[in-house]
Amino acid sequence: MASEISQRASAKKTGLIFFPAFDWAISPNHPEREERLLYTRDQIFEEGLMDLPEIEEHKPRLASEKDVARVHFCVPDVGSKVTEAHLIAAGSTLVLSDALMAGEIRNGFALVRPPGHHSMRVVHGNRGFCNINNMAIMVEYLRRKHGLRRIAIVDTDVHHGDGTQDIFWHDPDVLFISFHQDGRTLYPGSGFVEEMGGPNALGRTLNVPLPPGTTDEGFHYVLENLVMPVLEDFGADLVLNSAGQDNHYTDPLANMRFSAQGYARLNEILKPAIAVLEGGYAIESALPYVNMGIIQAMAGLDYSHVIEPDYVKGRFQQTREMTQSIEAVVGRLQDIWESRENLVAIAREEYGQFYRTRKRIFYDTDMINESQMETVRLCKDCPGYNTVVTDAVRGYGKLESAFCISIPIHACKSCKEDAHEEFEEHRLELKYDYVNLQDKPADVYRSYNTRTRTEKRY
Amino acid sequence: MLIGIDVGGTTTDAVLIDGDRVAKAALVPTDVADLPGCLLKALDELVEDIDKSVVERVVLSTTIITNLIAEGKTDPVGLILVPGPGTNPKDLNLPKAEIIDGAIDFRGREIQKLDEAGARRAVRSLASQGLRKVAVVGKFGQRNHAHELSIQEIASNEAPGLSVGLGHQVSGKLNFPRRAATTLLTMATRDRYREFALGMASALRDRGIFAPAYILKADGGTVPLERSIEMPVETIFSGPAASIMGVMALGLKDQTSVVVDIGGTTTDLALILSGRPLLSSKGARVDSMLTHVRAFAVKSVAIGGDSAVRVIDGNIQIGPDRLGRAFCLGGPSLTPTDALRALGLCDIGDASRADEALFGIGQALGCSKEEAARRVVDAVVEKIAFEVNEMFMEWEEEPAYRIWEILQREKVRPENVVGVGGASPAFIPLVAKRLGAKGIVPPHAAVANAIGAAVARPTLTLNLRIDTEQGVYAVSEDGASGKVSDRKMNLDQAEVMARRLMQERARDLGIEEYVSEAEVTHSELFNMVRGWSTVGRLLDVRMEIPAGLISSWGGA
Repeated sequence: MASEISQRASAKKTGLIFFPAFDWAISPNHPEREERLLYTRDQIFEEGLMDLPEIEEHKPRLASEKDVARVHFCVPDVGSKVTEAHLIAAGSTLVLSDALMAGEIRNGFALVRPPGHHSMRVVHGNRGFCNINNMAIMVEYLRRKHGLRRIAIVDTDVHHGDGTQDIFWHDPDVLFISFHQDGRTLYPGSGFVEEMGGPNALGRTLNVPLPPGTTDEGFHYVLENLVMPVLEDFGADLVLNSAGQDNHYTDPLANMRFSAQGYARLNEILKPAIAVLEGGYAIESALPYVNMGIIQAMAGLDYSHVIEPDYVKGRFQQTREMTQSIEAVVGRLQDIWESRENLVAIAREEYGQFYRTRKRIFYDTDMINESQMETVRLCKDCPGYNTVVTDAVRGYGKLESAFCISIPIHACKSCKEDAHEEFEEHRLELKYDYVNLQDKPADVYRSYNTRTRTEKRY
Repeated sequence: MLIGIDVGGTTTDAVLIDGDRVAKAALVPTDVADLPGCLLKALDELVEDIDKSVVERVVLSTTIITNLIAEGKTDPVGLILVPGPGTNPKDLNLPKAEIIDGAIDFRGREIQKLDEAGARRAVRSLASQGLRKVAVVGKFGQRNHAHELSIQEIASNEAPGLSVGLGHQVSGKLNFPRRAATTLLTMATRDRYREFALGMASALRDRGIFAPAYILKADGGTVPLERSIEMPVETIFSGPAASIMGVMALGLKDQTSVVVDIGGTTTDLALILSGRPLLSSKGARVDSMLTHVRAFAVKSVAIGGDSAVRVIDGNIQIGPDRLGRAFCLGGPSLTPTDALRALGLCDIGDASRADEALFGIGQALGCSKEEAARRVVDAVVEKIAFEVNEMFMEWEEEPAYRIWEILQREKVRPENVVGVGGASPAFIPLVAKRLGAKGIVPPHAAVANAIGAAVARPTLTLNLRIDTEQGVYAVSEDGASGKVSDRKMNLDQAEVMARRLMQERARDLGIEEYVSEAEVTHSELFNMVRGWSTVGRLLDVRMEIPAGLISSWGGA
C-alpha cells in the first residue's frame, strides 16, 4: 500500500486554497456571512481531503491594488472599495495561477469567499454580493505575468455572470460562456442569447439561459453540445471555471435541480485549469457535498460516493418542454458561434469607426444607480481602446463621476496614442471628478483627481 | 528530587535533579531487545546510593511504541468503518476495512440509519478470521457516536471477548482517516504497552520508589504512567520531545530558538517560537499512516557527523548515506567529524588519520587539506542553515482561514541555535553565525533529554463544541457530551464551561495542579441563520495546558 500511495503522490497535484473568511460578512444575516463555508470546512476536513496525495493545500496571499486596477476602475479608488477579505479572495486565484504556470499543480480550485462575478469594470460599490471580480483579476494577471493570450471562462453559477461579461465584452481573446437560470426569473435579470459581445468581439460572449427546474440532464446537454465543441474550436490557452454552486436543487435563492454528482461530472468533462467559487447559499444541504464532488473530480478521485442525504437517483425529471427549450437555445447559440466572424464584419460595416452605447447599472447590495456611456473604437488592427463615462447616485446623493480609458493589452500603436491623447485632453477639463487610464500594455494604471489635481498610480 | 530517564536509539540517559541543579547523571547503552531492562539499569545506577523516599517524581521517555511498530510486534486489528457519503474508502491510506452503511452529518445528525445486519456480518467475519481486536470508526462519529456504540454492542453480542476500540474515544478532531489510523494503532499496541507500563510501575515500587511516575508524550507533556495505557500512541516520538523540553529547561523565556540535534546520519530540527515549541499542524505520521497524535514539528535532515563525504564534479557532497564511523575513529572513509578534527574543533579520534583522509579529498578538490576541511564544514553548516530557513518558511506558509491570521503571520527568524544530543557541538556556533543568531551548547548536553523529561509538566487539550440549536455540547478528547439549554450562549460563557470541563478532565487524569495554566487558544462563534433569523449558535473553544516546565524548576 505504501508504494501505491507514493505512486499517487508523485503525480502532479490539485492545488486547493480554502479561504472561508470566518471573520467577514456583508451583514450578520446576509447570505454572504461567516457561516457560509463552515459546514464545507467540517466536511472536507473530516474527509481528510488535504491529506490525500492528489491534493496540495496552498496559503492565500493578498492581491495588490495594482492587480485590482488592471481590471477595475474603482471610483474614487481601489482602497475605498475593497476590504482585506476581497484582496485575499482575489489573491488566492493568483497563488494558484502562479503554481499552475510553474507546473507545480495540474489544476486548482480557489474555494474562497467573498465571490466576484457580478463586479463589473467600473466599481462604485457592491453588487450581487461582489466588490471585485476574482476571475477577471486572475485572467488579466495570467495575461500580464504569464503571457497567455486566449482564455476561456465558463461560468456555471445559477446567476448570470454579468460582471465578467461586462469586463470582457469587447475582448475577442476572452471567450465567456455563462449558463444560468433564465434572467426573466432571477437576479440579475440579464444573460439572454442576444447578449453576445461588443461589435469587435461578437460571439465571444455566449449566454445560455435555462428554464427554472433544469436538471443534471439539461446541464450536461449544454456542456456536451455547446460548451465543449465551442471550447475546442476557440482553442484557449486555459479554461477557467466560475464555479457557483447555486444551481443545486436545495439552493434558497434559485430554482434549479442540479446535484452534487452533476457538478462533479460537469467538472470532470470541462476539466478547468482553475476553478473559482462564486455563489451558492445552501450552506448545509449543498455546499459540503458539491465542494467535495468538485475537488474529487478535479483530483481525478472517485466521486461516486458523494451523495446528498436526501438525493435519490432519478429524483428529478425534466419536462419535455424544458428539454425542447434547452435544445432550441443551444441551437441558436451554435448558429451565433458559427457565424461570429460574419457578425463582426456586419457590425463594423454598420457602426463605422466608433461604437457608442448607454447603460444603466443597479447595485442591489449598495443601492447605487449608475449610468454609463461606453465608446469603443472598432479598430481593424486590435480589439480597440475604449472609454466609459460613469455617473452614479445613491438615493439622492451624487457619487463621484469619472472618465475612464482602457487600452487593451495587445492594442495597436494608433489605439495607444489616441487613448493617451484622450487622457491628456480630459484631464484638463473639470467635467469629471476623476480621469482614469488603464494602460495594460505598459501595466500602468493612473487615476487623476481633477479637483485636487493629483494623480495616483498603481 | 526528580528523576528523568530517556531511552534513546543508542544510549539511555538518566538524571537526578535536586531543586534546579543536576545532582547526578547516568548513561547506559540502549539494548533494543530489552527496553525495560535498560530503563531500570539506568535507574538503579542513579539511585543506588540515595534515600528513595526523597524522590518526588519520575518521568520516563521511551521508544517502546516505535520499537513495537518497527519490529512488527503489534497485535492484528480488524477495521470497521462507517464512512457515509464522501470519499471512496479505497482512496484512503488505510488497511482493508469492513464498510458498513449508515451516516452522520457534520452537525451530528443521523442522515442514514446504521445497517445493523451488515455490522453483525462484519463482526462475525472478523471474529472468524481469528481477530481478537477491532477498531470501529464512523465519519463524524465525534459529533454523534450512536453508530459506533451500536456496533460495539453488536460486537459484544456476536463475538463476546472481542476487544473493541471506538474512534470518538481516541480523538474528536475532524479528520476521519486520521482518527481511523490512530484508533487502529491504539488497539494494536495497547496490550503490550500495558504490560510495559504495569511492569515499570511495579519495578519502581519494588525499589521503594513510591513517587508519582509519568510518561512523556510526543507533545512534550507528561501523563501519569497508569493513565498512559489509554493513549499508548501518544508516547511515540518522546525522544525529540525530551530534547526540546531539555532546551526549554535552559530558561530561554519568550525567545525564538531552533533546536539542532546533530546525530550520526541525521540532524533533527525543531522550532521554539517565542518560548513555545511548534507543534506539527495536524498530527504525527506513524508507520506511513497519518494520525491525530499531537507531536512537536520535527524535521529530519539526512546529514550528520558520520555522513559519507564525496567529491562529485568538483563539488563536495555530504551524505545522505553513512559508510561507517569517522576515519579518525577507524572508519572506512572521510566524514564531517574528520573535518572538525583536522581543524581542531573537536578532539575525538586520531588527528593524523583525519589529516590523511582530508589530504585525499584536498587533492580531488585541488586545495590544501585545511581548505578541504573548511569546505566540508561549510557545506554541513550551509545545508543545516538552509533547512532551518526552509522550516521557518514552511511554518509561514501554513494555511490560514481567517483574515487576521493571514495579516499577522510575520517573518520570524531564530535568536538562538541550541545544540542537543552532543554528537557534534562544534557545528552549533558555526550554524548560529551563519543564521545571525546566538549559538548555545547547554551544559549537560549529553543528558539534556533526561533533564527535559524530568522537568516537563503535564499537557492537556480540550476541544469543546456547542450547538445551541440542537442544544448539545461535545468534548472532542474523550467523547463526553451533554445538553445545553441557553440558545444565546456567548463565547465567555462557553469558555467558563470549557474551563470547568477541563478541571474535571484534569482531576480525572490526576494532573489538576496545572489546570490554572490552561489557556484558551482558539475560540469562535457562528450564528446559524436560517431564512432571515438566527436559530442558534455554534461555538468552538479550545483550551490547552501547553508544554512547559514544572513549577519547581527555575531554569538553569
